[in-house]
Amino acid sequence: MAEHARGHHGSAERWGSRLGIILAVAGSAVGLGNFLRFPVQAAQHGGGAFMIPYFVALLLLGIPLSIVEWTIGRYGGTHGHNTAAGAFAAMWRWRGAKYLGLLGVFGPWVIFLYYTYVESWTLAFSYFSLAGLYDRSTDAVSMSAFLKAFQGLAPNDRFANIGTAYFFFLVTFGLNLVVLAGGIRRGIEFVSKVFLPMLFVLAVLLVVQIFWLGVLGAQPDPGWNSRVLDGLGYLWNPDFSVLGDSNVWLAAAGQILFTLSVGIGAIVTYASYLRPDDDVTLSALSAVGMNEFAEVMLGGCLVIPAAYAFFGSGEMTAIAKGGAFNLGFVTMPLVLNQMPVRHLVGCAWFFLLFLAGITSSISLAQPVVAFFQNVYGWTRAKAVTVFGLTSFVLSQPAIWWLGHGAVDEMDFWGGTFCLVVFGTMEVLLFGWIFGMDRGWREIHRGALVKLHPVFKVIIRYVTPAYLLFLLAFWLYDSAKATIAMSGVSAADRPYVLATRWLLIGLFIVLALSMRTALRGRRRIQELRP
Amino acid sequence: MSPAGWVFLAVSWGFIIGLCLFCFRRMFQTRRK
Repeated sequence: MAEHARGHHGSAERWGSRLGIILAVAGSAVGLGNFLRFPVQAAQHGGGAFMIPYFVALLLLGIPLSIVEWTIGRYGGTHGHNTAAGAFAAMWRWRGAKYLGLLGVFGPWVIFLYYTYVESWTLAFSYFSLAGLYDRSTDAVSMSAFLKAFQGLAPNDRFANIGTAYFFFLVTFGLNLVVLAGGIRRGIEFVSKVFLPMLFVLAVLLVVQIFWLGVLGAQPDPGWNSRVLDGLGYLWNPDFSVLGDSNVWLAAAGQILFTLSVGIGAIVTYASYLRPDDDVTLSALSAVGMNEFAEVMLGGCLVIPAAYAFFGSGEMTAIAKGGAFNLGFVTMPLVLNQMPVRHLVGCAWFFLLFLAGITSSISLAQPVVAFFQNVYGWTRAKAVTVFGLTSFVLSQPAIWWLGHGAVDEMDFWGGTFCLVVFGTMEVLLFGWIFGMDRGWREIHRGALVKLHPVFKVIIRYVTPAYLLFLLAFWLYDSAKATIAMSGVSAADRPYVLATRWLLIGLFIVLALSMRTALRGRRRIQELRP
Repeated sequence: MSPAGWVFLAVSWGFIIGLCLFCFRRMFQTRRK
């Protein structure tokens, strides 16, 4: 791919403004994880004490990786590449580099395949809230039954089949393609500029609603505020005994990678549409700051305090242990159903999740669209069409095999394993192969903030060591069990295995087609006089 | 919420607000230049 780069001076598409790219990257980072995954992770891993490993991971992993990804992306962009595969090839002359970088196209694609389906549930539930469709579900059991029937797992009189879920999936999938077809400036940037501020306004309104419900509610509840504060206490009261547990440090590191969308390849693609002298340091820090604001300050003030105030300590603990997923689709509707103007508040909550979801899913799709454009020389319309058709086919297992663990399998390899592996490769490539001095100059080209020299040491030594430790711990602790599918029931194994082969097949097809396309291009170049 | 909980909340929120303010101030300064 490097040969294809020569003669290019950046790609034709560009961001319209600095705010546009920052909002797009922040939109990519602010997703379902901020409002659902973070509070549960924090509450399960020592409450306030979780924030110690969390901030350590933010400083040693999140911020350095974020800056490295922005820089790699911009460097690739100035050489005519909009994906990690191209950027890796531009930074490292080894022929295999582009195949390593391909992980930054494959990973986001895998996540996109199931993420859009989950995102479509948020759109469906915002409609259900408005129409009062789950008003009859008044406890966790009936709400779970409602969700399962909607997903086609256990049909009932409300949902006889998966049809409704499939309809909302088609709408969400189509909306994603429309945004992508609009391109960087008129599609992704426009949507991010409109949706992200809307998301923040909705989140603040919901926080106000929850904290002032005792005063604002139809029947004033004098004990409400103290219960909400107790809910905050559930999240923040520290349990220092967990700090010696390596699993807590792993969970914190995982949450940071997941929430900042680093190690995926999405930031590389977004940053590739920057101009060569556009700032990356301040932009990266701003996007990190916005994501943390959404996660810790807004995300932490919504779900846990509300559920705690309604259900009390015992049930709240059970809910938190039930996982982030239950919390969003089972608990929150029940909580919000007890508020004044419940239909509107419920709709606002799910629409908030939808906005958070779509700004993330378009960032997962753009690396693949850019890959098609770069490698095959396709127009944006053709790239989006082919991406849409293939993704539609490939996302079917997530829909039909949901109950058999297909989504969990995709989430593990695409959303967890690839993140750590790709993040490690990026930081090693940047600090050791591209060279730290060269990298440092590249980071500071056009920079609006000068980084403290300690980041040089962090990027070269600390971040890679941290990530390698995470990988080694996974290999030691759970690799064997994961690969052998030991937690999967015998009935589900064929589905999980089929999903796994589908993912392996997708990577092989991507790699082979890239090889063929680049060889063809090289031959054409050789034939030219 | 215990006093230690308040401390953690204050430190975490303070860090994030500080980061955001730093970024927006810098961005505003550079835009004016």
